[in-house]
Amino acid sequence: MSAKKLTQLSLLTAIALIIFVIELRIPDIRIPGVKLGLANIVTVYAMYNYSPKETFMILSVRILLGSVFGGNVSAIIYSMSGALLCFCGMLILRRIIDKKYIWLCSIIGAVLHNTGQILTAVIMMKTTAVFSYFPFLIVAGCIAGAFTGMCAQILISRINLTK
Amino acid sequence: MKTHKILIIACITVFILGIIGSIFMILKPHGHNVEIIQDGKILYKINLDNSSDRTIITEYQGNKNTICIKNHQIYIEDADCPDHTCIKMGVLETEASPIVCLPNKLIIRFTDTEVI
Repeated sequence: MSAKKLTQLSLLTAIALIIFVIELRIPDIRIPGVKLGLANIVTVYAMYNYSPKETFMILSVRILLGSVFGGNVSAIIYSMSGALLCFCGMLILRRIIDKKYIWLCSIIGAVLHNTGQILTAVIMMKTTAVFSYFPFLIVAGCIAGAFTGMCAQILISRINLTK
Repeated sequence: MKTHKILIIACITVFILGIIGSIFMILKPHGHNVEIIQDGKILYKINLDNSSDRTIITEYQGNKNTICIKNHQIYIEDADCPDHTCIKMGVLETEASPIVCLPNKLIIRFTDTEVI
């Protein structure tokens, strides 16, 4: 990996972390697990500009350090599982969705992310009671995904670091 | 272009289904029976109508949650996890939003089964 690439990736990770930490300060709604996920703007951006391996590096470092900064390491398994499912889904979608429809990719990614989290919660807590959250998380995922996707779309059309 | 249309329609369908599901969950009538589940096991079954004010302390791997029943309402008063999401959720109101404490694997929810 060239020094230039390494710098770009670390810069993106730093941006994602900063967004993540700032977002932690936004007071949350009463439904747990519902948040904007602004840091995913960087993930979606990286998805369309870097290789899957590089995107995965940004994502995993952001989640690891993010949970340390957030002071809630126990929640890491939930963010990780959500992010993994979202990552796999977006890998496939990247091939069929072109750059004009990034928001679509982001919405599906967000819904997959929430699905992954719910499934982990079911496995971890050994009960299906948490499924009653699922409709809320889907609606929230659609809205948040559309928002972050639009942001990423604007970014991608304006900035190109890889040049 | 065609795949995009299909995906957009799929997204809209999922979104609408989500909204319908949410409304359904909110409007679903609930009884007065509450169960407290930890790590997949039902610890307590309480009928909120008959219950007097009391405090229940549950413990999971050294971490405690203080559950409070007051005026026939149930809520978590204190927890020693870092995020305190369960406390912020306040009083248990609908079947759609059980009080969940992820670190301590604790769930408080309405149940259909009858408790005496």
